[in-house]
Amino acid sequence: MTFDPTILEPYLGDLAAGARLTALACALALAGALLLGVVVALMRTANLAWARRIANVYVDVFRNVPFIVQLFFLFYGLPEVKVELSAFATGVLALSLAGGAFVSDVIRSGILALDPGVLEAAQVSGLSRFAIYRHIVVPIALRTSIRPLGAVFVNLILTSSILSAITLNELTGGAKIVASDTFAPFEVYALLLLLYAAMTWLVSLASGALHRRLNRNLA
Amino acid sequence: MRYDEFTAHDLLLLLQGLGVSVSLFAATTVIGLVLGLAWALLRYYRVPVLAQFAALVAELLKNSPVLVQLFLVFFGLPVLLQTDLSPVEAALITLSGNTAAFVYVIAVSAIESVGREQIETARVFGLSRWQTLRRVVAPQAAAFGFGPLTGLLVNQLQVTSLISVIGVVDLTKVGAILNLRTLKPFIVWTVVGLLYYLMARLIAHVCARMETRLRAHSQWKGL
Repeated sequence: MTFDPTILEPYLGDLAAGARLTALACALALAGALLLGVVVALMRTANLAWARRIANVYVDVFRNVPFIVQLFFLFYGLPEVKVELSAFATGVLALSLAGGAFVSDVIRSGILALDPGVLEAAQVSGLSRFAIYRHIVVPIALRTSIRPLGAVFVNLILTSSILSAITLNELTGGAKIVASDTFAPFEVYALLLLLYAAMTWLVSLASGALHRRLNRNLA
Repeated sequence: MRYDEFTAHDLLLLLQGLGVSVSLFAATTVIGLVLGLAWALLRYYRVPVLAQFAALVAELLKNSPVLVQLFLVFFGLPVLLQTDLSPVEAALITLSGNTAAFVYVIAVSAIESVGREQIETARVFGLSRWQTLRRVVAPQAAAFGFGPLTGLLVNQLQVTSLISVIGVVDLTKVGAILNLRTLKPFIVWTVVGLLYYLMARLIAHVCARMETRLRAHSQWKGL
Protein backbone atom coordinates (compact mmCIF):
# COMPACT_ATOMS: atom_id res chain seq x y z
CA MET A 1 0.00 0.00 0.00
CA THR A 2 1.54 3.25 -1.16
CA PHE A 3 0.10 6.71 -1.16
CA ASP A 4 2.37 9.27 -2.80
CA PRO A 5 0.65 12.40 -4.09
CA THR A 6 3.95 14.02 -5.14
CA ILE A 7 4.03 12.09 -8.45
CA LEU A 8 1.12 14.23 -9.59
CA GLU A 9 3.18 17.42 -9.55
CA PRO A 10 4.14 17.45 -13.26
CA TYR A 11 0.48 16.88 -14.17
CA LEU A 12 -0.99 19.77 -12.23
CA GLY A 13 -1.02 21.86 -15.42
CA ASP A 14 -3.17 19.27 -17.20
CA LEU A 15 -5.58 19.18 -14.30
CA ALA A 16 -5.74 22.98 -14.27
CA ALA A 17 -6.58 22.96 -17.99
CA GLY A 18 -9.37 20.47 -17.27
CA ALA A 19 -10.61 22.63 -14.41
CA ARG A 20 -10.72 25.65 -16.73
CA LEU A 21 -12.82 23.73 -19.24
CA THR A 22 -15.16 22.59 -16.44
CA ALA A 23 -15.49 26.18 -15.21
CA LEU A 24 -16.19 27.45 -18.73
CA ALA A 25 -18.78 24.76 -19.44
CA CYS A 26 -20.46 25.40 -16.09
CA ALA A 27 -20.50 29.17 -16.55
CA LEU A 28 -22.06 28.88 -20.03
CA ALA A 29 -24.50 26.24 -18.82
CA LEU A 30 -25.45 28.44 -15.85
CA ALA A 31 -26.27 31.30 -18.22
CA GLY A 32 -28.31 28.98 -20.45
CA ALA A 33 -30.05 27.35 -17.51
CA LEU A 34 -30.92 30.73 -15.96
CA LEU A 35 -32.40 32.02 -19.20
CA LEU A 36 -34.38 28.84 -19.78
CA GLY A 37 -35.32 28.55 -16.11
CA VAL A 38 -36.75 32.08 -15.93
CA VAL A 39 -38.81 31.58 -19.09
CA VAL A 40 -40.10 28.20 -17.91
CA ALA A 41 -40.85 29.54 -14.44
CA LEU A 42 -42.86 32.39 -15.97
CA MET A 43 -44.72 29.83 -18.09
CA ARG A 44 -45.43 27.67 -15.05
CA THR A 45 -46.88 30.59 -13.12
CA ALA A 46 -48.67 32.09 -16.14
CA ASN A 47 -52.40 32.34 -16.50
CA LEU A 48 -52.41 30.15 -19.61
CA ALA A 49 -53.27 26.49 -19.28
CA TRP A 50 -51.28 25.37 -22.33
CA ALA A 51 -48.14 27.25 -21.24
CA ARG A 52 -48.33 25.69 -17.78
CA ARG A 53 -48.82 22.25 -19.26
CA ILE A 54 -45.87 22.45 -21.66
CA ALA A 55 -43.59 23.82 -18.95
CA ASN A 56 -44.65 21.16 -16.46
CA VAL A 57 -44.01 18.35 -18.94
CA TYR A 58 -40.53 19.75 -19.65
CA VAL A 59 -39.62 19.96 -15.97
CA ASP A 60 -41.10 16.54 -15.24
CA VAL A 61 -39.16 14.84 -18.03
CA PHE A 62 -35.80 16.50 -17.42
CA ARG A 63 -35.93 15.95 -13.67
CA ASN A 64 -36.89 12.28 -13.89
CA VAL A 65 -34.57 11.03 -16.61
CA PRO A 66 -30.89 10.49 -15.73
CA PHE A 67 -28.57 13.17 -17.08
CA ILE A 68 -26.35 10.65 -18.84
CA VAL A 69 -29.35 9.39 -20.85
CA GLN A 70 -30.26 12.96 -21.84
CA LEU A 71 -26.64 13.54 -22.80
CA PHE A 72 -26.43 10.43 -24.99
CA PHE A 73 -29.79 11.30 -26.54
CA LEU A 74 -28.39 14.65 -27.68
CA PHE A 75 -24.85 13.46 -28.45
CA TYR A 76 -25.95 10.59 -30.70
CA GLY A 77 -29.29 12.04 -31.74
CA LEU A 78 -28.38 15.54 -32.92
CA PRO A 79 -26.11 14.38 -35.78
CA GLU A 80 -29.03 12.22 -36.99
CA VAL A 81 -31.05 15.35 -37.65
CA LYS A 82 -28.03 17.03 -39.26
CA VAL A 83 -27.14 19.23 -36.30
CA GLU A 84 -23.38 18.81 -35.99
CA LEU A 85 -22.20 20.17 -32.66
CA SER A 86 -18.86 19.70 -30.93
CA ALA A 87 -18.77 17.59 -27.78
CA PHE A 88 -18.31 20.78 -25.77
CA ALA A 89 -21.35 22.49 -27.31
CA THR A 90 -23.46 19.36 -26.86
CA GLY A 91 -22.37 19.14 -23.24
CA VAL A 92 -23.21 22.78 -22.53
CA LEU A 93 -26.58 22.35 -24.25
CA ALA A 94 -27.42 19.24 -22.22
CA LEU A 95 -26.32 20.87 -18.97
CA SER A 96 -28.41 23.97 -19.76
CA LEU A 97 -31.50 21.89 -20.56
CA ALA A 98 -31.18 19.81 -17.40
CA GLY A 99 -30.22 22.83 -15.28
CA GLY A 100 -33.14 24.85 -16.65
CA ALA A 101 -35.61 22.42 -15.12
CA PHE A 102 -34.07 22.83 -11.66
CA VAL A 103 -33.64 26.61 -12.02
CA SER A 104 -37.30 26.96 -13.00
CA ASP A 105 -38.31 25.22 -9.77
CA VAL A 106 -36.31 27.71 -7.73
CA ILE A 107 -37.51 30.79 -9.63
CA ARG A 108 -41.08 29.52 -9.54
CA SER A 109 -41.09 29.40 -5.76
CA GLY A 110 -39.50 32.87 -5.80
CA ILE A 111 -42.39 34.13 -7.93
CA LEU A 112 -45.01 32.40 -5.78
CA ALA A 113 -43.47 34.03 -2.71
CA LEU A 114 -44.08 37.51 -4.18
CA ASP A 115 -46.35 39.65 -2.06
CA PRO A 116 -49.63 39.92 -4.05
CA GLY A 117 -49.91 43.52 -2.87
CA VAL A 118 -46.81 44.44 -4.86
CA LEU A 119 -48.35 43.04 -8.06
CA GLU A 120 -51.68 44.74 -7.40
CA ALA A 121 -49.92 48.05 -6.78
CA ALA A 122 -48.08 47.66 -10.08
CA GLN A 123 -51.32 46.87 -11.90
CA VAL A 124 -53.20 49.87 -10.49
CA SER A 125 -50.26 52.07 -11.38
CA GLY A 126 -51.05 51.20 -14.97
CA LEU A 127 -47.80 49.34 -15.74
CA SER A 128 -48.01 47.07 -18.77
CA ARG A 129 -47.75 43.31 -18.27
CA PHE A 130 -44.30 43.28 -19.80
CA ALA A 131 -43.12 46.11 -17.54
CA ILE A 132 -44.43 44.27 -14.49
CA TYR A 133 -42.49 41.14 -15.45
CA ARG A 134 -39.40 43.05 -16.51
CA HIS A 135 -39.13 45.45 -13.56
CA ILE A 136 -40.90 43.72 -10.70
CA VAL A 137 -41.51 39.98 -10.95
CA VAL A 138 -38.20 38.79 -12.41
CA PRO A 139 -35.83 41.02 -10.38
CA ILE A 140 -37.50 40.23 -7.06
CA ALA A 141 -37.81 36.51 -7.79
CA LEU A 142 -34.17 36.31 -8.88
CA ARG A 143 -32.95 38.26 -5.87
CA THR A 144 -34.75 36.14 -3.30
CA SER A 145 -33.60 32.90 -4.90
CA ILE A 146 -29.86 33.51 -5.06
CA ARG A 147 -29.04 30.96 -2.36
CA PRO A 148 -31.12 28.10 -3.82
CA LEU A 149 -29.71 29.02 -7.23
CA GLY A 150 -26.27 28.54 -5.70
CA ALA A 151 -27.31 25.02 -4.71
CA VAL A 152 -28.45 24.37 -8.30
CA PHE A 153 -25.12 25.66 -9.58
CA VAL A 154 -23.26 23.35 -7.21
CA ASN A 155 -25.25 20.46 -8.64
CA LEU A 156 -24.45 21.66 -12.15
CA ILE A 157 -20.72 21.54 -11.36
CA LEU A 158 -21.02 18.02 -9.97
CA THR A 159 -23.11 16.94 -12.97
CA SER A 160 -20.58 18.40 -15.40
CA SER A 161 -18.23 15.53 -14.50
CA ILE A 162 -20.54 13.31 -16.58
CA LEU A 163 -19.49 15.24 -19.70
CA SER A 164 -16.33 13.12 -19.60
CA ALA A 165 -18.55 10.30 -20.95
CA ILE A 166 -18.86 12.08 -24.31
CA THR A 167 -15.10 12.42 -24.87
CA LEU A 168 -14.87 15.90 -23.36
CA ASN A 169 -11.63 16.33 -21.41
CA GLU A 170 -12.89 18.53 -18.62
CA LEU A 171 -11.62 18.04 -15.07
CA THR A 172 -12.79 14.43 -14.75
CA GLY A 173 -11.91 13.49 -18.34
CA GLY A 174 -8.47 15.08 -17.97
CA ALA A 175 -7.93 13.26 -14.69
CA LYS A 176 -8.70 9.94 -16.38
CA ILE A 177 -5.80 10.57 -18.75
CA VAL A 178 -3.50 11.57 -15.90
CA ALA A 179 -4.50 8.45 -13.98
CA SER A 180 -3.60 6.18 -16.88
CA ASP A 181 -0.31 8.04 -17.41
CA THR A 182 0.86 7.86 -13.82
CA PHE A 183 -0.65 4.51 -12.77
CA ALA A 184 -1.68 6.32 -9.59
CA PRO A 185 -5.49 6.33 -9.85
CA PHE A 186 -6.11 6.59 -6.13
CA GLU A 187 -4.01 9.73 -5.73
CA VAL A 188 -5.54 11.33 -8.84
CA TYR A 189 -9.15 10.69 -7.93
CA ALA A 190 -8.65 11.54 -4.26
CA LEU A 191 -7.21 14.89 -5.35
CA LEU A 192 -10.11 15.30 -7.75
CA LEU A 193 -12.61 14.67 -4.96
CA LEU A 194 -11.02 17.42 -2.90
CA LEU A 195 -10.88 19.79 -5.88
CA TYR A 196 -14.58 19.39 -6.62
CA ALA A 197 -15.42 19.73 -2.93
CA ALA A 198 -13.36 22.94 -2.76
CA MET A 199 -15.00 24.35 -5.90
CA THR A 200 -18.53 23.64 -4.74
CA TRP A 201 -17.72 24.91 -1.26
CA LEU A 202 -16.49 28.20 -2.71
CA VAL A 203 -19.62 28.50 -4.86
CA SER A 204 -21.94 27.94 -1.92
CA LEU A 205 -19.97 30.43 0.21
CA ALA A 206 -20.12 33.01 -2.58
CA SER A 207 -23.82 32.49 -3.26
CA GLY A 208 -24.57 32.75 0.47
CA ALA A 209 -22.64 36.02 0.70
CA LEU A 210 -24.32 37.42 -2.42
CA HIS A 211 -27.71 36.38 -1.09
CA ARG A 212 -27.15 38.20 2.18
CA ARG A 213 -25.81 41.28 0.40
CA LEU A 214 -28.72 41.57 -2.08
CA ASN A 215 -31.39 40.82 0.51
CA ARG A 216 -29.93 42.92 3.32
CA ASN A 217 -32.94 45.26 3.30
CA LEU A 218 -35.37 42.37 3.84
CA ALA A 219 -33.99 41.11 7.12
CA MET B 1 -26.22 -9.48 -43.44
CA ARG B 2 -26.51 -6.38 -41.34
CA TYR B 3 -27.60 -6.48 -37.74
CA ASP B 4 -29.08 -3.01 -37.46
CA GLU B 5 -32.68 -4.07 -36.93
CA PHE B 6 -34.28 -4.46 -33.53
CA THR B 7 -34.91 -8.07 -32.57
CA ALA B 8 -36.98 -9.75 -29.88
CA HIS B 9 -33.76 -10.48 -28.01
CA ASP B 10 -33.17 -6.74 -27.57
CA LEU B 11 -36.28 -6.61 -25.41
CA LEU B 12 -34.79 -9.31 -23.21
CA LEU B 13 -31.53 -7.36 -23.02
CA LEU B 14 -33.44 -4.24 -22.02
CA LEU B 15 -35.30 -6.10 -19.29
CA GLN B 16 -32.05 -7.58 -18.05
CA GLY B 17 -30.52 -4.10 -17.84
CA LEU B 18 -33.60 -2.86 -16.05
CA GLY B 19 -33.26 -5.71 -13.58
CA VAL B 20 -29.62 -4.86 -12.88
CA SER B 21 -30.47 -1.17 -12.37
CA VAL B 22 -33.39 -1.92 -10.08
CA SER B 23 -31.60 -4.52 -7.97
CA LEU B 24 -28.52 -2.33 -7.53
CA PHE B 25 -30.78 0.58 -6.63
CA ALA B 26 -32.67 -1.54 -4.08
CA ALA B 27 -29.50 -3.00 -2.55
CA THR B 28 -27.68 0.33 -2.26
CA THR B 29 -30.79 2.01 -0.84
CA VAL B 30 -31.10 -0.59 1.93
CA ILE B 31 -27.37 -0.53 2.76
CA GLY B 32 -27.28 3.26 2.49
CA LEU B 33 -30.26 3.66 4.81
CA VAL B 34 -28.74 1.40 7.47
CA LEU B 35 -25.30 3.02 7.22
CA GLY B 36 -26.67 6.56 7.11
CA LEU B 37 -28.88 5.99 10.15
CA ALA B 38 -25.98 4.43 12.08
CA TRP B 39 -23.92 7.42 11.03
CA ALA B 40 -26.59 9.78 12.39
CA LEU B 41 -26.67 7.81 15.66
CA LEU B 42 -22.97 8.65 16.16
CA ARG B 43 -24.06 12.25 16.21
CA TYR B 44 -27.16 11.67 18.35
CA TYR B 45 -25.05 9.96 21.02
CA ARG B 46 -22.33 12.62 20.57
CA VAL B 47 -19.55 10.06 20.15
CA PRO B 48 -16.37 12.15 20.32
CA VAL B 49 -14.08 12.35 17.24
CA LEU B 50 -16.16 9.79 15.29
CA ALA B 51 -19.14 12.17 15.09
CA GLN B 52 -17.01 15.00 13.66
CA PHE B 53 -15.29 12.59 11.30
CA ALA B 54 -18.67 11.33 10.07
CA ALA B 55 -19.84 14.89 9.40
CA LEU B 56 -16.66 15.63 7.41
CA VAL B 57 -16.92 12.47 5.29
CA ALA B 58 -20.61 13.12 4.60
CA GLU B 59 -19.77 16.66 3.53
CA LEU B 60 -17.05 15.40 1.17
CA LEU B 61 -19.31 12.75 -0.38
CA LYS B 62 -22.12 15.26 -0.79
CA ASN B 63 -19.90 17.82 -2.49
CA SER B 64 -18.08 15.70 -5.05
CA PRO B 65 -19.38 14.05 -8.22
CA VAL B 66 -20.54 10.46 -7.86
CA LEU B 67 -18.61 9.68 -11.03
CA VAL B 68 -15.33 10.68 -9.36
CA GLN B 69 -16.21 8.63 -6.28
CA LEU B 70 -16.93 5.72 -8.58
CA PHE B 71 -13.54 6.09 -10.30
CA LEU B 72 -11.80 6.41 -6.93
CA VAL B 73 -13.32 3.15 -5.74
CA PHE B 74 -13.12 1.22 -9.00
CA PHE B 75 -9.68 2.31 -10.26
CA GLY B 76 -8.09 3.68 -7.08
CA LEU B 77 -8.94 1.24 -4.29
CA PRO B 78 -7.62 -1.91 -6.01
CA VAL B 79 -4.26 -0.21 -6.61
CA LEU B 80 -4.05 1.15 -3.09
CA LEU B 81 -5.07 -2.08 -1.37
CA GLN B 82 -3.58 -4.47 -3.97
CA THR B 83 -6.89 -6.27 -4.49
CA ASP B 84 -9.40 -6.82 -7.24
CA LEU B 85 -12.80 -5.25 -7.40
CA SER B 86 -15.50 -6.19 -9.88
CA PRO B 87 -17.48 -3.31 -11.39
CA VAL B 88 -20.60 -4.45 -9.52
CA GLU B 89 -18.76 -4.46 -6.19
CA ALA B 90 -17.34 -1.01 -6.87
CA ALA B 91 -20.81 0.24 -7.79
CA LEU B 92 -22.29 -1.26 -4.62
CA ILE B 93 -19.65 0.35 -2.40
CA THR B 94 -19.83 3.77 -4.03
CA LEU B 95 -23.58 4.09 -4.32
CA SER B 96 -24.18 2.78 -0.79
CA GLY B 97 -21.68 5.26 0.61
CA ASN B 98 -23.18 8.10 -1.38
CA THR B 99 -26.73 7.25 -0.33
CA ALA B 100 -25.55 6.90 3.28
CA ALA B 101 -24.08 10.43 3.22
CA PHE B 102 -27.37 11.94 2.07
CA VAL B 103 -29.42 9.80 4.46
CA TYR B 104 -27.13 11.05 7.25
CA VAL B 105 -27.87 14.68 6.37
CA ILE B 106 -31.62 14.05 6.18
CA ALA B 107 -31.63 12.05 9.44
CA VAL B 108 -29.68 14.72 11.30
CA SER B 109 -32.04 17.51 10.26
CA ALA B 110 -35.06 15.28 10.96
CA ILE B 111 -33.79 14.55 14.47
CA GLU B 112 -33.13 18.24 15.03
CA SER B 113 -36.65 19.07 13.89
CA VAL B 114 -38.01 17.39 17.04
CA GLY B 115 -38.23 20.02 19.76
CA ARG B 116 -35.50 20.03 22.41
CA GLU B 117 -38.10 20.34 25.16
CA GLN B 118 -39.61 16.99 24.17
CA ILE B 119 -36.26 15.28 24.65
CA GLU B 120 -35.74 17.07 27.97
CA THR B 121 -39.23 16.06 29.12
CA ALA B 122 -38.58 12.46 28.16
CA ARG B 123 -35.32 12.52 30.12
CA VAL B 124 -37.07 13.99 33.14
CA PHE B 125 -39.60 11.18 33.00
CA GLY B 126 -36.72 8.76 33.31
CA LEU B 127 -36.55 7.43 29.75
CA SER B 128 -33.11 6.32 28.69
CA ARG B 129 -31.46 7.98 25.70
CA TRP B 130 -32.34 4.96 23.55
CA GLN B 131 -35.97 4.94 24.72
CA THR B 132 -36.23 8.65 24.00
CA LEU B 133 -34.97 8.01 20.49
CA ARG B 134 -37.16 4.97 19.92
CA ARG B 135 -40.43 6.26 21.41
CA VAL B 136 -40.26 10.05 21.09
CA VAL B 137 -37.79 11.20 18.47
CA ALA B 138 -37.85 8.48 15.81
CA PRO B 139 -41.61 8.47 15.01
CA GLN B 140 -41.70 12.25 14.54
CA ALA B 141 -38.37 12.40 12.74
CA ALA B 142 -39.51 9.67 10.34
CA ALA B 143 -42.56 11.68 9.34
CA PHE B 144 -40.43 14.80 8.92
CA GLY B 145 -37.65 13.15 6.95
CA PHE B 146 -39.81 11.19 4.56
CA GLY B 147 -40.36 14.01 2.08
CA PRO B 148 -36.64 14.71 1.57
CA LEU B 149 -36.02 10.95 1.50
CA THR B 150 -38.42 10.57 -1.43
CA GLY B 151 -36.49 13.21 -3.36
CA LEU B 152 -33.24 11.46 -2.49
CA LEU B 153 -34.47 8.05 -3.72
CA VAL B 154 -35.68 9.46 -7.04
CA ASN B 155 -32.30 11.13 -7.41
CA GLN B 156 -30.34 8.00 -6.44
CA LEU B 157 -32.20 5.99 -9.06
CA GLN B 158 -30.83 8.36 -11.68
CA VAL B 159 -27.38 8.20 -10.14
CA THR B 160 -27.34 4.42 -10.73
CA SER B 161 -27.11 5.21 -14.46
CA LEU B 162 -23.49 6.34 -13.90
CA ILE B 163 -22.30 2.82 -13.13
CA SER B 164 -22.59 2.09 -16.85
CA VAL B 165 -19.39 4.13 -17.23
CA ILE B 166 -17.34 1.54 -15.33
CA GLY B 167 -18.85 -1.32 -17.30
CA VAL B 168 -21.80 -2.59 -15.30
CA VAL B 169 -24.41 -3.69 -17.83
CA ASP B 170 -27.31 -1.71 -16.42
CA LEU B 171 -30.15 -0.07 -18.32
CA THR B 172 -27.97 2.78 -19.61
CA LYS B 173 -25.22 0.42 -20.75
CA VAL B 174 -27.79 -1.70 -22.60
CA GLY B 175 -28.97 1.51 -24.22
CA ALA B 176 -25.41 2.31 -25.30
CA ILE B 177 -24.96 -1.20 -26.73
CA LEU B 178 -28.23 -1.08 -28.67
CA ASN B 179 -27.47 2.44 -29.81
CA LEU B 180 -24.12 1.45 -31.27
CA ARG B 181 -25.55 -1.61 -33.00
CA THR B 182 -28.76 -0.21 -34.45
CA LEU B 183 -27.65 3.42 -34.91
CA LYS B 184 -31.14 4.58 -33.97
CA PRO B 185 -30.36 6.91 -31.07
CA PHE B 186 -33.80 8.53 -30.90
CA ILE B 187 -35.68 5.27 -30.44
CA VAL B 188 -33.15 3.68 -28.08
CA TRP B 189 -32.62 6.64 -25.75
CA THR B 190 -36.32 7.51 -25.72
CA VAL B 191 -37.19 3.99 -24.59
CA VAL B 192 -34.40 3.98 -21.97
CA GLY B 193 -35.41 7.44 -20.76
CA LEU B 194 -39.05 6.38 -20.56
CA LEU B 195 -38.17 3.33 -18.47
CA TYR B 196 -36.20 5.49 -16.01
CA TYR B 197 -39.04 8.01 -15.97
CA LEU B 198 -41.63 5.35 -15.16
CA MET B 199 -39.46 3.93 -12.39
CA ALA B 200 -38.98 7.40 -10.89
CA ARG B 201 -42.73 8.01 -10.94
CA LEU B 202 -43.34 4.63 -9.33
CA ILE B 203 -40.89 5.41 -6.51
CA ALA B 204 -42.42 8.85 -5.95
CA HIS B 205 -45.91 7.33 -5.91
CA VAL B 206 -45.06 4.58 -3.42
CA CYS B 207 -43.23 7.04 -1.15
CA ALA B 208 -46.14 9.51 -1.25
CA ARG B 209 -48.53 6.76 -0.12
CA MET B 210 -46.22 5.73 2.71
CA GLU B 211 -45.82 9.34 3.80
CA THR B 212 -49.58 9.79 4.04
CA ARG B 213 -49.67 6.81 6.39
CA LEU B 214 -46.80 8.13 8.50
CA ARG B 215 -48.51 11.50 8.82
CA ALA B 216 -51.95 10.00 9.49
CA HIS B 217 -51.72 10.91 13.19
CA SER B 218 -51.67 14.64 12.49
CA GLN B 219 -54.40 14.63 9.87
CA TRP B 220 -57.85 16.06 10.32
CA LYS B 221 -60.17 13.13 10.83
CA GLY B 222 -63.47 14.98 11.03
CA LEU B 223 -65.73 15.27 14.04
